[in-house]
Amino acid sequence: MATLRSKSDQEIRELLDEYEIKHGPIVDTTRPLYEKKLKEAMAKDKKVTKPSSDKTFYREEQEEVTYVTYRTPVISEVPSGDGKPYMRSRPEYSERDFVDDKLYSRSRPEYSSGRQYVDEPHVYNTPSYSSYSKPMPVVKAGGVVVKEEITESSGKLVPLWIQLLVFLIVAGFLYFIFINMESVESNPFNRIQ
Amino acid sequence: MSTTSQKHRDFVGEPMGDKPVTALSGIGEVLGNKLEEQGFDRAFVVLGQYLLLRKDGELFTEWLKDTSGANTRNATSCSQCLREWCDSFL
Repeated sequence: MATLRSKSDQEIRELLDEYEIKHGPIVDTTRPLYEKKLKEAMAKDKKVTKPSSDKTFYREEQEEVTYVTYRTPVISEVPSGDGKPYMRSRPEYSERDFVDDKLYSRSRPEYSSGRQYVDEPHVYNTPSYSSYSKPMPVVKAGGVVVKEEITESSGKLVPLWIQLLVFLIVAGFLYFIFINMESVESNPFNRIQ
Repeated sequence: MSTTSQKHRDFVGEPMGDKPVTALSGIGEVLGNKLEEQGFDRAFVVLGQYLLLRKDGELFTEWLKDTSGANTRNATSCSQCLREWCDSFL
């Protein structure tokens, strides 16, 4: 992208039309304004097209998208044996990294088993998939997309670092509570005897 | 009409002639000086800029904020002032 300054008036005019920005004649006094608007439009455009291009690039990690879709109902396996799903989460989690070839065949079972413990190890998943910059689970290779967005945090949205900070504070707080729960793994029904 | 200031009503009520830029609604001394520094020393010059921007209120507001450091309220007020003036006299 050549600097806007060096473009001729005609080119600026064409760019403005391309981005459908209403404009008048390009004159000394109006040019800086239009350059600014073009810059904003380009930055916004770049941000919008980036995630979709990553879609095809990071196919293998499609697995992990299903894992993190946090709209899975929390009701699933909570009452029965909190211990087991929790223990399993560790090996399952590392297992995930190997899954290269058998993606599609495994995706089904993985998804259903993923449901069981999505609610607990929130603390595991979320740090690596800090998809908080985009509202919906557009997690495709969350790491890479987020990195790019950090470099071009737009002026209009809440700055990314603030979001990350808030997220870390909340996560830390929850973790702290979690740690203090004591013997979460053991059967909570013990006392009633 | 009750939401507009006296300054606004004074301006849109008659041809602007050679009125200074501070006669515009929303433009006080500070903003007026900034504009004059840029060469916009009369109201009609600012009108000229407004017309160049095709009388687009949003564009003009943005331009005014960038050029003079006006806040949104003042810029919008000026924009509206010019628009009404144009409606009557242009």
